[in-house]
Amino acid sequence: MTQPTTERAFGDAKKATKYDRAMFRVMNDAAVRPAFATAGRRRAVVSAHAALTVATLTCTSLLYVRDTAWLVAPLAVLLVLWVVATGMLNGGTRGLLELRTRMLDERQRADRDRAGAVAHRAATALLAAAAGVFVLAEAVGADGLPGVPAVWVLVYALAAVWLMPLWVAGLQARDEPADDFADEFQDGAADGAG
Amino acid sequence: MYNFLYMSEQVHNRLAVIRAERSVSRKQLAEAVGAHYQTIGHIERGQYNPSLDLALRIAEYFELPVEVLFALRPFRPLSDELYGPQGHGNQRDRQDSADRGAR
Repeated sequence: MTQPTTERAFGDAKKATKYDRAMFRVMNDAAVRPAFATAGRRRAVVSAHAALTVATLTCTSLLYVRDTAWLVAPLAVLLVLWVVATGMLNGGTRGLLELRTRMLDERQRADRDRAGAVAHRAATALLAAAAGVFVLAEAVGADGLPGVPAVWVLVYALAAVWLMPLWVAGLQARDEPADDFADEFQDGAADGAG
Repeated sequence: MYNFLYMSEQVHNRLAVIRAERSVSRKQLAEAVGAHYQTIGHIERGQYNPSLDLALRIAEYFELPVEVLFALRPFRPLSDELYGPQGHGNQRDRQDSADRGAR
């Protein structure tokens, strides 16, 4: 089946909505290409996003527990930075996890499935380790971890399960193909025509 | 990493050569066959093996048999195919190549 992978109508692309086309343009914005150009940069972006996620959640939980008003200021800054980092990850992966399936081609769908499978294993391992810590704390008579309400354990678990595919997709992204000679050819022809 | 999950065999291709010959950009080809332009780049670099469906669409776009573009074994250099591995001195190979070209 032909997959519509450009914002222009092609094959089944007639089914692409205005939202699909707008999201396709946003996710394929060339502005984030430099940030995702090498494996080192991709690791840095993913690490920064994971750190920002942990910092934002910690700040939120502290605000909830201590009810300290001044924590709103760092939380607002962290949220803005987190949104920017999330945008970079989505742009770097070309919207692998944000675009609808009909806007992805066969290679992208395979990449998304691969990221999902690895993320499932990673999130399972993370949750198993967290569960192990709680069980161990009970076993040694620490009476659980009284400072951590169950609701926050669930929030952290939700964040891990929600964001792990994005992190894995970011780490699995490959280098962009080298510049296309034919693009240069066409640019030159267009310049000559203009 | 994790390539073994979806790439069991290396499929060789001469997509970049044919594209250069026809002056077709990755984006043009991608739009014509319904793929992302990055996918065309990954195919050219041997990082992704296209499905039969996509391979046939690419072959159809260039109006070439699919085996001219994709093969399980590495392609011989085009100069070898045109003039033979002995180079310009071998008149018989040149004649054979000309015959193949005419066909």
